[in-house]
Amino acid sequence: MKRLGVDNWGERLTRRLAGRLSRRSALARLGALLVAAPAFPLLPVQRARAADAGNGTDFSREAQAHDDTACNYWRYCGIDGNLCSCCGGSVHSCPPGSQPSPTSWIGSCINPADQRSYLIAYRDCCGASICNKCSCLGTDHAMPIYRPQANNHVIWCIGANTFEYHCSMAVLVGLAE
Amino acid sequence: MKQLVRGRGASGIAAVLLSSVGCLAAAAGRAAPPVLQSETAGITPFQGLTPHDLVYSAMDALAPPGIRILDGDKAKLIGTVYSSQYAGFAWAPDHKTLYVSETYWTLGNRGKREDVLSIYGGPTLSNEGEITLPGRLISDPKTHAFALSADGHYGYDYSFQPAPSVSVIDLKQRKLLTSVEIPGCGLVFPFGERGFASLCADGALAVADVDAGGRYVVRRAGRFFDVMNDPVMDESVADTREGLALFITYNGWVHPVHLADRPRFEKPWSIQQAAGLSPATSQVGAINWRPGGQVFAAYQPATARLFVLMHEGHPWSNEQAGTQIWVLDTRGHKLLHRWDVPESASLVAVTQDAHPLLFALSESWLWVLDGDSGAVLRAMQIVPPGLVQVRGE
Repeated sequence: MKRLGVDNWGERLTRRLAGRLSRRSALARLGALLVAAPAFPLLPVQRARAADAGNGTDFSREAQAHDDTACNYWRYCGIDGNLCSCCGGSVHSCPPGSQPSPTSWIGSCINPADQRSYLIAYRDCCGASICNKCSCLGTDHAMPIYRPQANNHVIWCIGANTFEYHCSMAVLVGLAE
Repeated sequence: MKQLVRGRGASGIAAVLLSSVGCLAAAAGRAAPPVLQSETAGITPFQGLTPHDLVYSAMDALAPPGIRILDGDKAKLIGTVYSSQYAGFAWAPDHKTLYVSETYWTLGNRGKREDVLSIYGGPTLSNEGEITLPGRLISDPKTHAFALSADGHYGYDYSFQPAPSVSVIDLKQRKLLTSVEIPGCGLVFPFGERGFASLCADGALAVADVDAGGRYVVRRAGRFFDVMNDPVMDESVADTREGLALFITYNGWVHPVHLADRPRFEKPWSIQQAAGLSPATSQVGAINWRPGGQVFAAYQPATARLFVLMHEGHPWSNEQAGTQIWVLDTRGHKLLHRWDVPESASLVAVTQDAHPLLFALSESWLWVLDGDSGAVLRAMQIVPPGLVQVRGE
């Protein structure tokens, strides 16, 4: 995927700031955050890799759209963890006793019902001990941890009151096309 | 037939009677056994890691956390050190001091967060204190989230708060030195006396080292892989002493990089081509032998041998457990061996001595293999593993 212009601009700005300011300065920190900002999917629509819905992916070839408690449910192409649908929650809601993470990682999955590619925000539910049911691992275009916006190994309870991992959900954001 | 049996029975009874008489006579002439002595509870001494020990942490949430030490020659647990979930760890070059990077909350699942580097050592591997850290990465276990300089003087802890940075710790003075921001990058691969490199989200390498004033300067050393189509895996291997990293991609391309202020990038080579096969591609439906697993590779610098867990799978199957271990000569780019793994394994480690053991771990089993022949020597049940380490030489 082509890098966004804002990425390049932010990086250039940070380098300039880093060259002129002390490392501890608040502005240098701001510069770092500007560059790092795309890693946190406040506007995930821009960050997802749009899969080629025409060719599909190895995951999408086996995906189905009727059972969200199964690992091959189409939205789970990039999920890693216990399905909230098996833990008292749903594909887009946390089970009682847990709370959704404010941050998420992003994937784009193909819905077999309409062959369209949709953006999915994977959010961890935090605060209750691990659900330990329906453990799934979707690695379709999942990225290493140094590219965190599409990494499913980070415990995404960042910003929640607790880091205790309970389960993961796959919230539909919109079309990726 | 019946008479014969009866006859044998009679002679057998006689033999027992005679034997009993003999035993009574012997007991009468012998002193009573001594009363067992009272004992004092203690701790089995820890002599330090031996060359054939394996150390592993538990996979978070699937097993009680802790750093477990196994004797590879006996397939036996010899000790455990407490840790939080999502901990990283590293051993000092003295093979006796253990550093654990970990995080706690005052009320268990909530409250005040404390990120610390805990230190264990001494004759009983006991806690020797903590160094407070400004933050940490909390994720599934990552080998290169916490690492030491080759001489053990400095520790580098990758932090994701969520802005990425590296905490530099002076382990001799046992204090935090500084926090180095690495925008858009992650993980730590130490080199030289005080330098470290990180992989970046655009396929570049970031290099950080101290300037004449003792301050860290970070710069990008250029893109060397295609992050969108064939990224370098987190669990690539590195020889900190030589400053050599072997960055391995999802499709099995090995990028040797000599880490330094001015890193030197060697031409990448394909694991599959080294085996006489076509390189794997990212094309949908392309089934190839591919590297994969959790800690999917191990490196032995003395012999330049690379051990890689391999499976037959489609693109983006890089977390699939390996059914074989491929042994590669990284100098000649040649496959030396293909060894089957009992069942399949997600983690691999190799000892660094002249008669190496090769460890292959699944979710519940550890297999100990001969590092030269691939023969399975022994096996033991384990808790689901997160990270593995052996003694460095």
